[in-house]
Amino acid sequence: MAKLDGKKLLACCANGAGSSLLMENAIKKVMTRNNIKPAAISHCAVSEGKSAAPNYDVVLCAKPFAKTFEGIDTSKTTLITLKNVMSDKEIETALKDAGLID
Amino acid sequence: MSTVLQDIVAKKHYKFIDGEGLTWQEAVKQSTESLIADGSVSKDFYKQIIACIEKYGPYMVFEHNVAMPHTTENAEGVYKTGIGFMVCKKLIDFGVDEDGEKKEANLFFTLCSANPTEHMNNIQQLANIFQNEPLLDALAVATTPEEILAAEEKYPCEEE
Repeated sequence: MAKLDGKKLLACCANGAGSSLLMENAIKKVMTRNNIKPAAISHCAVSEGKSAAPNYDVVLCAKPFAKTFEGIDTSKTTLITLKNVMSDKEIETALKDAGLID
Repeated sequence: MSTVLQDIVAKKHYKFIDGEGLTWQEAVKQSTESLIADGSVSKDFYKQIIACIEKYGPYMVFEHNVAMPHTTENAEGVYKTGIGFMVCKKLIDFGVDEDGEKKEANLFFTLCSANPTEHMNNIQQLANIFQNEPLLDALAVATTPEEILAAEEKYPCEEE
């Protein structure tokens, strides 16, 4: 079983309407390619992201938004920051580096 | 079903400019003009996009000089879902990102969303376009709507 099976992932951007959707799209590609079946892949605005983070196992955002998530419980939620939010390759590498994909 | 680029042409949501000496703020404003023309957005919509970029930096300028200016779903002054496409001959300077890397754009895909389903469909197609470098190169030198369609015909995005 893959580590991210049944887990919940959240993509955040400034407004929750543009880049976070691109991210969500790229995350789906990575999940399909690695045969992972997460429980949910969602997106939202960073303004809601921090309060939503505890409900997710992984939160992904573009680098400029990393500060927004300072203080979240990283033992429960892994924060992944991305340079290029639509790059499925970068997302895949980041998840591997975080030990979430074998 | 039509592609987003066919949609852009059918709705006349395009603009071709030289861009010499334009600030990114002026460029963002101009990229919304085709959306204002058919009542997709209000004439002040661009101000929200500028405020967002001023707040968070040019994170919506991606690789290959592609900019995707946008605000939030159901933003104020948005009446329809669409994409305002703009080609600039000259690169528009968006300053530097958080790593000090220069951000420039000559292709603008300015988003407005009043309908999440349509918007998601637009984004999925744009994600494929943004990774289709030959198509982006062809779009960057387009000067007419016919050339937009020809570029897509020549370099179609793979269906996923």
